[in-house]
Amino acid sequence: MSGLSLLLRAARAAFPAGTRQLRTASPSLAYAKELFLGKMPREEVFPYPEISKDELEEINQFVGPVEKFFNEEVDSKKIDQEAKIPPETLKGLKSLGLFGMQIPEEYGGLGLSNTMYARLGEITSLDGSIAVTLAAHQAIGLKGILIAGTEEQKAKYLPRLASGEHIAAFCLTEPGSGSDAASIQTRATMSEDGKSFLLNGSKVWISNGGLADIFTVFAKTQVVDKDGAKKDKITAFIVERAFGGVTNGKPEDKLGIRGSNTCEVHFENTKVPVENVIGEVGGGFKVAMNILNSGRFSMGSGAAGMIKKLIGSEYGFKKKQFNKKLCDFGLIQEKFTLMAQKAYVMESMAYLTAGMMDRPGEPDCSVEAAMVKIFSSEGAWTCVSEALQVLGGLGYMKDYPYERYLRDSRILMIFEGTNEILRMYVALTGMQYAGKILTEKIKDIKKGGVGTALQMLASKLRDSVGRKVDLGLVGEGGVTHCSLEESAKKLEENIYYFGITVEGLLRRFGKTIVDEQLILKRVADTVINLYGMTATISRASRSISIGLHNHDHEVLLTNIFCTEAYFKNNYTMTQLEKYADENLDDSIKKVAQQVLEKRAYLCSHPLDRTF
Amino acid sequence: MNYVRKLLLARELAAGLGILRRAAPRRDFPQLQGLICAQCFRAVPARSIQSSAIRARAELTSSAKSGKEEESRSGALMPFQELFEGDRKGDKDKASFTRAVEIFCQRDIRRRGHVEFIYAALKKMPEYGLERDLEVYNKILDVFPKEVFVPRNFIQKIFTHYPRQQECALHVLQQMEDNGVTPNYQTKFLLLQIFGEKSRAIRKYWRIMYWFPKLKHANPYPVPDPLPQDPIDLARFTLQRIAADLSAKVTVYQMALTDITDAGKEITQPHIVGIQSPDQQDLLAHHNPDRPVFVEGPFRLWLKKTCVYYYILRGDPLPPEEREDVIDPERNFYCPLSLDLDLDQGIWDDEEFDVDEVVEGPIFAICMAGAGDQNTLAKWILGLQHTNPVLSQVPVVFQLTPGPDELPLATDSENGEEEIPQSQHAKQEL
Repeated sequence: MSGLSLLLRAARAAFPAGTRQLRTASPSLAYAKELFLGKMPREEVFPYPEISKDELEEINQFVGPVEKFFNEEVDSKKIDQEAKIPPETLKGLKSLGLFGMQIPEEYGGLGLSNTMYARLGEITSLDGSIAVTLAAHQAIGLKGILIAGTEEQKAKYLPRLASGEHIAAFCLTEPGSGSDAASIQTRATMSEDGKSFLLNGSKVWISNGGLADIFTVFAKTQVVDKDGAKKDKITAFIVERAFGGVTNGKPEDKLGIRGSNTCEVHFENTKVPVENVIGEVGGGFKVAMNILNSGRFSMGSGAAGMIKKLIGSEYGFKKKQFNKKLCDFGLIQEKFTLMAQKAYVMESMAYLTAGMMDRPGEPDCSVEAAMVKIFSSEGAWTCVSEALQVLGGLGYMKDYPYERYLRDSRILMIFEGTNEILRMYVALTGMQYAGKILTEKIKDIKKGGVGTALQMLASKLRDSVGRKVDLGLVGEGGVTHCSLEESAKKLEENIYYFGITVEGLLRRFGKTIVDEQLILKRVADTVINLYGMTATISRASRSISIGLHNHDHEVLLTNIFCTEAYFKNNYTMTQLEKYADENLDDSIKKVAQQVLEKRAYLCSHPLDRTF
Repeated sequence: MNYVRKLLLARELAAGLGILRRAAPRRDFPQLQGLICAQCFRAVPARSIQSSAIRARAELTSSAKSGKEEESRSGALMPFQELFEGDRKGDKDKASFTRAVEIFCQRDIRRRGHVEFIYAALKKMPEYGLERDLEVYNKILDVFPKEVFVPRNFIQKIFTHYPRQQECALHVLQQMEDNGVTPNYQTKFLLLQIFGEKSRAIRKYWRIMYWFPKLKHANPYPVPDPLPQDPIDLARFTLQRIAADLSAKVTVYQMALTDITDAGKEITQPHIVGIQSPDQQDLLAHHNPDRPVFVEGPFRLWLKKTCVYYYILRGDPLPPEEREDVIDPERNFYCPLSLDLDLDQGIWDDEEFDVDEVVEGPIFAICMAGAGDQNTLAKWILGLQHTNPVLSQVPVVFQLTPGPDELPLATDSENGEEEIPQSQHAKQEL
């Protein structure tokens, strides 16, 4: 272990741990679920989460050396070309302690809070391959041990994982489908003495598969349930490469993040002791879900970090055309605004989420994290593409890093849950929550709850007359700064009508909404915008109030984003109020059906004729 | 004197037209029309005489009894039929047919009796197998003398000018329509040349040209024309048509073969072609081996005028207690697959029709074979076992109805030989 890491750790130890201990209270959904009811729990998101001055100093001490390392010693171009992270770079990362960022200090990690982890993520994501290698190691690879492992397992594995001596990998995906538990064919059979399992099967697309020494493997095991029937259930195991029978295929040739190691991993009669089961036998599904849900929030800060760097290194500042600087053209300026705005929103969302996750009681922020992931992955792709566009043909050349960033950022929309499936997750989780409340209300009315009925009637009446929405963001006792009043009002209005829209949808579709993916996508898009608006308003309010540097710029960005999002939301919600034949859903489905039936483009060629 | 002038003019006209037509083989119509008009100007007096002569003849025939008219027409047919009958020794093909038409055209510069000839030719076309040949129809239309039937004044335009000739042309077009032959530009050009714009014939042409292209691709499941002759190709096409699943795979389990053993005994081996989709394989793999599967058939399928037979391998519908409708809640790692709510879909968004579906068992595979006996079909099942190992444990019951030979079939005499031969003893006991 290098001196630098020791220094960091010493610095870390000098500060109190604050609120960063593992808690066992049952998690409750945080902010986003209330949006589905048309409510705004102000106290969850206002004021914007802060860290103490001590913590800030501490994190800045980490950030300095890591930034220096990435600027001076990481050659991203070489990593991309050779499709390998050089050993000395890996060694440097290890000595900085970056392999154990969230592992508690008692196990030799840095013990960073989620917020601090997000901050470091901004820098580590400057190189896509390194970011993915680190994320596969600690955001998912060893997360199982961290959140569901026993004390013995933690003591045995975490220290060496924290130092980077061992690298971890997360083995879930199998050929067939990445998100379908039924596609898991890997089996673990209990030995006769009941002391170990024999693991057999293959996993595909495992990040770090070729480097890892410790695998979190999900396999089917036979479990006898309550009524004595035998059933196949998923169990999570810690598997060491040293157990034997673990082989991996050659690294996959990928579009982007080429330096990260992705390959198949095969297990053949690998003997895994019973002590290495994570959680309980048959409880692997929950473990997998928790790992996946907890790993996503940091993508927001990472993508923001990348865009910030792109803006700074933009070559377009210098270029001249028609005796005019490129930057004087409105269409080029628009691109820079877009990049700044997206970066700002991502950052705001990511740190708001991280701050909420760091709160006592460990609230369940999986929906928020998913929203951050969706927004930032798509934002990253758009921004990188626009940055490349500014340069025109030059951006397309390998001499400039833009094409690499473009290739690298494409994976963000795919891994850790594709954006499509995460949209479903966001929408359905909210719908489930809102649906429960709505059914209770309806039940209450059926039982003769006159009060509830009158309340609903009254609010309906008020809506039809046209009401002023006031969720307490502005005006008397408001929490936003007055220069953001317009944006805050827009947010309030959007949230209120979103609640009404969701209720309408639930009444229309009930539980069959699960199959209405086009509707769910719109719901998810709206709620992501609402969350982004919340995050930016909250953050900008804080910045103005405490007088942060350039806070007027933040106000500009917030107002731009909120206004755009407001109109988008209104459009989406109008679509949601309409029936399938009016909002094009019918036609969209019909075209898809016909194309898929014939598996071809159906139109005749424009040059075809019939006589 | 008039008569002589008329003859002279007619000859000149015909010659001029011939030259013109040779000069403009691409049918550059507007230009040609102008030229012809210039010529016709001189021909007017002669034409009036000619038309009056023909009208007189028409009056003559119409003044006869209606029964007689039919007789006279059939009587007039006689000489032209000889033109075609003359080829009785030779092959009845396109060449001989066109030769007959050409002979008629060359026989008389004025094409006397061309209407009768055209009726006769139309009647003969199916005999020559040319009823769908556009070129021949154009050839027939070409028999009409050009330009003489075009109306020249508004009165002629109001009333059907040269009704008998137009009627005849309508017959030609009608026969084209009945046989699904789409006219082409040459047809249009001929009709314009013969009857002029806004004639009944050209209107019929426009109507055909309006509907035919529109309806050309109206059938979403077209049958190729002609059908493949090879029974295996035909079976492949048929099975793909029935299965309607692009991922379904056609397998030829056995090729048709006729062999003579050393003992001099003839062995015939019918072809067996089957189709199975991955979904069907999946269904069969999950089939409970305790329940039998059934081979049933033959079922009929008509492809235009050809009848083919196929057999299916099916299972019984699952009893309600064995149906698994519940989705495992621990199925999707990323998002829930169902919501735990009491609310149901409202009626306004329920766009499904209320259909009472008869519960049917799954169909696991379909096949077509050269023979419908149990031995042949057992070979099919044997072949299926390679891809569906579960079949070796499942009892297979053959429920074959009597073969198609015993079915009263009304196959077209021309295509009768296309019927797939079937063995007579379809039902056997093991």
